[in-house]
Amino acid sequence: MNHTLYIQLSSVEGAVIRALGLIERRGYCLENCTVSKADENGRRMEISVTSSRPGDLLKRQLERLHDVFHVELKPAEPIHQQSQGIRPVTRRK
Amino acid sequence: MKPSTQLVPELRSGSQVLIEMLKRNGVKQIFGYPGGTIMPVYDALVGAGLKHYLCRHEQGAALAADAYGRVTRKAGVCMATSGPGATNLVTGIANAFMDSVPMVVITGQVPSALQGTDAFQEVDIFGITLPIVKHSYIVRNIADIPRIVNEAFQLAQGGRPGPVLIDLPKDISAGMAEVVYTAPPPQPEMPRPDSNAMQAASEMLSRARRPLIIAGGGIAISDSVDVFREFVARTGIPVTTTLKGLGVMQADDPCYLGMLGMHGNGAANHAVQNCDVLMVVGARFDDRATGHLAQFAQSARVIHLDIDAAEISKLRKADLAIVAELAPALEGIRPEGETSASWFGQCAGWKKEFAWRYDSPGEGIYAPRLLRDLSRAKPEGMTITCDVGQHQMWVAQHCRFDNPLDHLSSGGLGTMGYGLPAAIGAKVAKPENTVVCVSGDGSIMMNVQELATLNRYDIDVKILLLDNSALGLVRQWQEIFFDGNYSEVHLEDNPDFAGVARAFGIQARSIKEPEEVSEAIEWLLNTQGAAMLHVSIDSMENVWPLVPPGKANHRMMKSNPIKEH
Repeated sequence: MNHTLYIQLSSVEGAVIRALGLIERRGYCLENCTVSKADENGRRMEISVTSSRPGDLLKRQLERLHDVFHVELKPAEPIHQQSQGIRPVTRRK
Repeated sequence: MKPSTQLVPELRSGSQVLIEMLKRNGVKQIFGYPGGTIMPVYDALVGAGLKHYLCRHEQGAALAADAYGRVTRKAGVCMATSGPGATNLVTGIANAFMDSVPMVVITGQVPSALQGTDAFQEVDIFGITLPIVKHSYIVRNIADIPRIVNEAFQLAQGGRPGPVLIDLPKDISAGMAEVVYTAPPPQPEMPRPDSNAMQAASEMLSRARRPLIIAGGGIAISDSVDVFREFVARTGIPVTTTLKGLGVMQADDPCYLGMLGMHGNGAANHAVQNCDVLMVVGARFDDRATGHLAQFAQSARVIHLDIDAAEISKLRKADLAIVAELAPALEGIRPEGETSASWFGQCAGWKKEFAWRYDSPGEGIYAPRLLRDLSRAKPEGMTITCDVGQHQMWVAQHCRFDNPLDHLSSGGLGTMGYGLPAAIGAKVAKPENTVVCVSGDGSIMMNVQELATLNRYDIDVKILLLDNSALGLVRQWQEIFFDGNYSEVHLEDNPDFAGVARAFGIQARSIKEPEEVSEAIEWLLNTQGAAMLHVSIDSMENVWPLVPPGKANHRMMKSNPIKEH
């Protein structure tokens, strides 16, 4: 199954690598990743992953990270219909 | 002194600020080992009013801090220098992470300007520990230290606890700056249980014909033991525990069926496989508890209570989840009616059928019986720490714990070498308790250097060393699953353990005969100061029952398979 997640996270040292490390370590294969600056304190990431494991579990595992403010899981789609668009994320936890 | 926000900045070193903030967060004891890049912190430690325990290996310091954290529910603190000092902490950090133990780890780091240049004793400990910490920091400004230390303690101790690492470059620890101290913030409110979910859980349990509870380590971590026992008394639902849940139920409670899982009690494993509603409280479906997951509790609907949302449906799908503090959730679940007498009777029957037996056919000392006797002889407030292996499982099976904090065992990581440093941490945390480290001849050698720590600080820890001249659990598996092809498990060349202990200034004696056991246990428990009782046992003794890896829990092996010759 292919999952797309939008992640808002802190811009502090290590935040991105911590999130990416978790994704791979928890059994999700990273297919695509975009990181961009959201504002002075934050970054946003859009990732797409493939895994036999559920996307909402990865969402909850990412939400545990102290550096992660907010995670949205895009409803799963068959792989050939995967959107390439980046949706802006504005909410903060 | 009550911590307060100080508004007037003062010029202080980063190390002085660190020490002050540790004190403001309630730290009184630290376990550690000095070295190059952490020297400014050790300089500030002199006369600062914190008791530092010099362990003889950084792993010992980290594991002692782990046990201190388990016993006090406050973050244990350990400290080491950069490079090998930091990497030696890693096993202890992972141990705390796997068992949800509050810990704050402070590592020295090479000066910021040298980071990334392969400087002497430089390792990226921040990167190395990313998967095994709840959170971590590299300090870049002295002024950030108060906020970082406050956050570290809040994170380590809040919600589902865990280790937090603070990596401190030497230019930060030695540098001077004007710093405003800030007060530790209060812990954020934990999520309250959803009333609809509690109602749904009550209804599921009311309708259940064969309800069962799995009680995990989260109950002790969240200080919910009394509420949990009230829940069981109110509902009469049978209970099994995980390894870390041992002691949540009093051993003689009629609802208590024992520990489940690979080396669990038959009653617990049969009840799990036959229940129709399974309420899991503060446990995480570890593979050693569930056996073959797809066949685990196949006819049960699952109610899962946990503080950590990421544990829900991670392994076993929850039919109903309550992510909240356990105590209010347990108080709010109120099933109607009583637990079916026929189900309770069936559980009681299994309990009788699978009661432990102590009539070993062997001639030597039978370790399970010895541990039962130790447990019976225990004075009020005895903590048992374990290493990892056969003796660990025998402790779980045969010692009775009425308080989960009296049983310190490396559950998730399974760290050989945990027992002795853990006993040090537990005794430092609760000097009034009798602390017994039950170890094996393999495990004790993993951190044997900590005998020097016992002697140096006159720490009254009793060591019960079960010596089967083998890496017993590996040997057992090679016997059963590898057709007796023994590979690197024989330890007939063990040192004279009693002699080793005496060389460290620890009183010691050895026994071999069953008739010596009773008097020797009395000697161990009543001797003043640290002591070791070295017990030789049969090298071919196995831990039973055993659920073979990948098998369902009710497919337990009760004893050695009969082999055809």
